[in-house]
Amino acid sequence: MPLMANTTAKSDKLARLSACIVRVAENQDKAAFAELFDHYAPLIRSYSLAREPGADLVADDLVQEVLTRVWLKAAKYNATLANLNTWIFTLARNCRIDYLRRNSRYATEIDPTDIFNEIEDEGPGPFQMVQQSRVQQSIRAGLEQLPKEQSEILTKVYLEGKSHQQTSEELKLPLGTVKSRVRLALKKLEVLVPR
Amino acid sequence: MDKSTNHPYDELLAAYSAGSLPLSQALCISAHLEHCSSCGQKLQQLNHVGSELMQQLKPSKVSDELKTKLLGMLDSLSEDLPDEKSHKIDARVPRCLHQFVDTNYDDLNWKRISADIQSVELCRDSNGAKVELLKIKPGGSATTHTHMGDEYTVILEGSFSDESGLYGQGDFLVKDENDQHTPVATQDRECICLAVTEGPIQFTGFLHRLLNPFIRRGYA
Ligand SMILES: [Zn+2]
Repeated sequence: MPLMANTTAKSDKLARLSACIVRVAENQDKAAFAELFDHYAPLIRSYSLAREPGADLVADDLVQEVLTRVWLKAAKYNATLANLNTWIFTLARNCRIDYLRRNSRYATEIDPTDIFNEIEDEGPGPFQMVQQSRVQQSIRAGLEQLPKEQSEILTKVYLEGKSHQQTSEELKLPLGTVKSRVRLALKKLEVLVPR
Repeated sequence: MDKSTNHPYDELLAAYSAGSLPLSQALCISAHLEHCSSCGQKLQQLNHVGSELMQQLKPSKVSDELKTKLLGMLDSLSEDLPDEKSHKIDARVPRCLHQFVDTNYDDLNWKRISADIQSVELCRDSNGAKVELLKIKPGGSATTHTHMGDEYTVILEGSFSDESGLYGQGDFLVKDENDQHTPVATQDRECICLAVTEGPIQFTGFLHRLLNPFIRRGYA
């Protein structure tokens, strides 16, 4: 599909899904929720499997946990702070952190709820992204053009949930190289440029 | 206007956004974010990166049973009530630290570690990192020390200066094992910091150097 048509199709889809979350928030509309499920559940499942390949039960649990929160928190979703895809990403990330903490191998007394909750409920403060969709589109276009060595590292960090140290061990790269590739990638995506 | 001038590195903020940062470090980032809107804005964009990467994943087939099960549960779902405790906590305490504080900093179990410093250990992370609060009295000096791993500090109250500059509320500092620094609190008030230390601290003051083998053994 040509890039432009692809981009348009994606934003149409997002607009449809955003209408669904409003119907869930206002009317507890189950048909709208089912549409959200159909789009997001397979992605959440893949997100879980990216970290733990083959762990199908864990992946199903994450789907259930995230979509439960979507149902309960729909009214708190604020489109001016994050678009729906980004809100779902932060919910999935938070649920995955929670799961890993409860998993004994990663046991710690630190409760992540108050560390990350702020973002999922209210957004990180009063500042709002006026040109949010433009930002998101430039990030999307930027990701497609990233050199493989940089996108590979973003995948490790964001999807596989690997620390810089783990990434450096797995890719047999010095820690400093991992960090500088993350920085380079983010620069290319213009994430770090003040807007 | 941002009060803080010292911010987490970009790749640290990205790891926070990705959820791949140890929780002890995430605590520090979260405490910093309460004071820093520019990092908050960066974080929103970093979250977009995660969001786009997630959208690019190849969707994995979800069973019909899971969908039926979840749709059947919707009517019985109810949200956990917000924690009543939070209302009693001093507004100066960052939200990420509410889990360790009942009302305010004063009722924590502070231990005197030198004439100028008190500390209270809040917890340990799964990687062994120690999470603590440090309180330096006005004009007080923290012993010069080095450490095995990185040390993350966020200033919660007051301010201090060291060889590299003056730091105030919200400032985020990382020192690695090669940095030696001597923070001195400003005269006007006490300084409270959140500190995360990855390895055992080695004191390098004269007396401490003598004591060091014993101190280090405590961590073995
Ligand atoms: Zn900052």
